[in-house]
Amino acid sequence: MAAPALQDVSLRIEDGSYTAIIGHTGSGKSTLLQHFNGLLKPTSGQLTVNGVTITPATKNKELSDLRHQVGFVFQFPEAQLFEETVLKDIAFAPRNFGKSAAEAEQIARKVAAMVGLSETTLTQSPFDLSGGQMRRAAIAGILAMEPHTLILDEPTAGLDPQGRRSMMNLFARLHREYLLTIILVTHQMDDVADYADHVVVMEHGQVLQTGTPRQVFADAKWLREHHLRLPQTAAMAEQLAARGFSFDPLPLTEHELADQLVPQLQGGGRHD
Amino acid sequence: MPVIDVRDVTVQYRDEDRPALQHVSLQVTRGEWIALIGHNGSGKSTLARALDGLVPLTAGAIHVAGIPVDEEHIWDVRRRVGMVFQNPDNQFVGADVAGDVAFSLENQEVPREEMHQRVAAALKAVGMAGYANHAPSRLSGGQKQRVAIAGVLALRPEIVIFDEATSMLDPAGRDDVVTLMRTLHEQGLTIITITHDIDEAGLADRVIMLDNGRVVTAAPPATVFAQEDTLVARGLDVPYSARLKQALAARGVRVPKEYLTNEGMVNWLSQLKSTI
Repeated sequence: MAAPALQDVSLRIEDGSYTAIIGHTGSGKSTLLQHFNGLLKPTSGQLTVNGVTITPATKNKELSDLRHQVGFVFQFPEAQLFEETVLKDIAFAPRNFGKSAAEAEQIARKVAAMVGLSETTLTQSPFDLSGGQMRRAAIAGILAMEPHTLILDEPTAGLDPQGRRSMMNLFARLHREYLLTIILVTHQMDDVADYADHVVVMEHGQVLQTGTPRQVFADAKWLREHHLRLPQTAAMAEQLAARGFSFDPLPLTEHELADQLVPQLQGGGRHD
Repeated sequence: MPVIDVRDVTVQYRDEDRPALQHVSLQVTRGEWIALIGHNGSGKSTLARALDGLVPLTAGAIHVAGIPVDEEHIWDVRRRVGMVFQNPDNQFVGADVAGDVAFSLENQEVPREEMHQRVAAALKAVGMAGYANHAPSRLSGGQKQRVAIAGVLALRPEIVIFDEATSMLDPAGRDDVVTLMRTLHEQGLTIITITHDIDEAGLADRVIMLDNGRVVTAAPPATVFAQEDTLVARGLDVPYSARLKQALAARGVRVPKEYLTNEGMVNWLSQLKSTI
C-alpha cells in the first residue's frame, strides 16, 4: 500500500472566509477537497462541515444535505452542461432536489443574474454560448443548489486573461455580496494574494502551514525550499530589499508596493 | 529565405459568421522565437494549425522551409513542424515513455536501430532519459509534457509549435517546459509559442498579437509591452513591471517611457533610491 493520500491533517476554515489551498500536483489538495462534501470519508479522524460530522462510519445517505450545502466547481465545469436551454440546465439541480418547476425556474433566474448571464442567454442552447458564458452557466447550475460553501478547483484553467479576471471578480462578488464561503485551489499565487484571506499550504498529504497570505508569503526562503512561488509583488519586493529598500508589512499588490516605495525615492521620485 | 512564409491567408470555417483568419501575412526567420498572443477566438490556434496543414486555407498561401503547405506536400511539411498541445494527457499514445516517443517514428518508417538511438537522444534532450520504461500514469503533468516534446524532437523538426503547452501545468512543470523552450531556441530551432502568459511571451524575439483574425502588432516584446493600453484593450495581461510603473506614475513618480523588464525595474528604482 502506498503512503496515505492525507496524513494527520487538522485544520479549520472559518465560516464566510475566502481560503486558498496551495501545493504541488499530488500534494493532497484534491483529496482534501473531496472530504469537504463527503465524496470521500476519512480512514481515521473526523471532520465537521457546516455542523455535519463525517467519520469513517458515516453513511452516504446522512450526507445528502451536505452535498448541496457544499458546491463543487471542477476544472472545465462546462463539460457538464447538457440541457436544451441554459435555463433548464441551471434549474436541473433544484428540480432534482424536489423543487417544483416554478420554484426551480425562479431559483435559476436568480442565480443566472448572480453570475451575470443576461435574460436572452437563458433561452439559448448552452452549447451556443462563448467559453466564458458556458462556464458561468455551469457555475450558475452549482449555485442553484443554494450552497453555503463554494469549492473552486483551478476554476480559471483554459480561460484567457480577460476571462480569468472576470471569473475571479465573479467569485469575489459571490463572497462579498452573497457571503459564500470560498475555498480556492490554485497554482496562481497572484490570485491567492489578491483574493484570499487565509492560506493552507499542503505537501505530501500534510498541512505544512496555515496563515494569512501576508504571513505565508513573508518567508520567501521557506517557500523556495518547498518549491512554491511568491506572488509577483512579493517577488519584486524581495529583489528590491536586496538593493537596500525596506518594506513593512510585506506588500501584496503593486499599489501597496508603490505606496511604500515612493517615500524611499529621492524627492519622492518627482524629479530627474 | 524565411523558414515560415504566410501570404495573405484567410481561413473561413464553414459554420462561422466571420473568418478565423483574415489576410494574414507573416515571415519568420530560421531560428527565431515567436510568441503568438491574443484573446480566445482571436485566431492564434487557427494560425498555428494552418502552419502544420491542419486547417484548409480559404485564400492565400503558406510555405514552410520553402515547401508549400498543401495536400500534396503535407507529409513533407509535417516532418518539419512539430506541435505540442495543451493537455499532456490527450497526447499520450504509448504504453510506456519510450514507446510513446517511438510511436511518431514508427509512422515515418525509421529503421529500428536508428529509432532506438533517436528515442534515447530525444528523452535525454528533455531530461527524461531515466524514465524510458515508466508508465504515463506515474508521471507529473510537466513530465508528460516533456515526453510529448521528446516525441516531437525525435522527428528532428525545424520548427516546434507550443500551443498553450504550459497552461495546464503547475509552476514547477511550467518552468521545466519554458527552460526546454530556451534550450531548443539556443540550439537553433525555430520556436512558436501560443500563450496567455505574458512573461512567457516576453522570452520571444518577436511578439505577434492577433485580434479578430488579423495581425495587429508584430514587434519585439519591449515594443509591444510598452503599449499597455493596447494590451488591455485587446483583453490581454500587462506585464508586472508595467503595472508597477503605472502605479508609481499615479503617485507622481517620473517614470521612463520605455518598457522595463523586472530586472530593469529593480535597477532603475535602485538608482532613484534615496541615500538618506
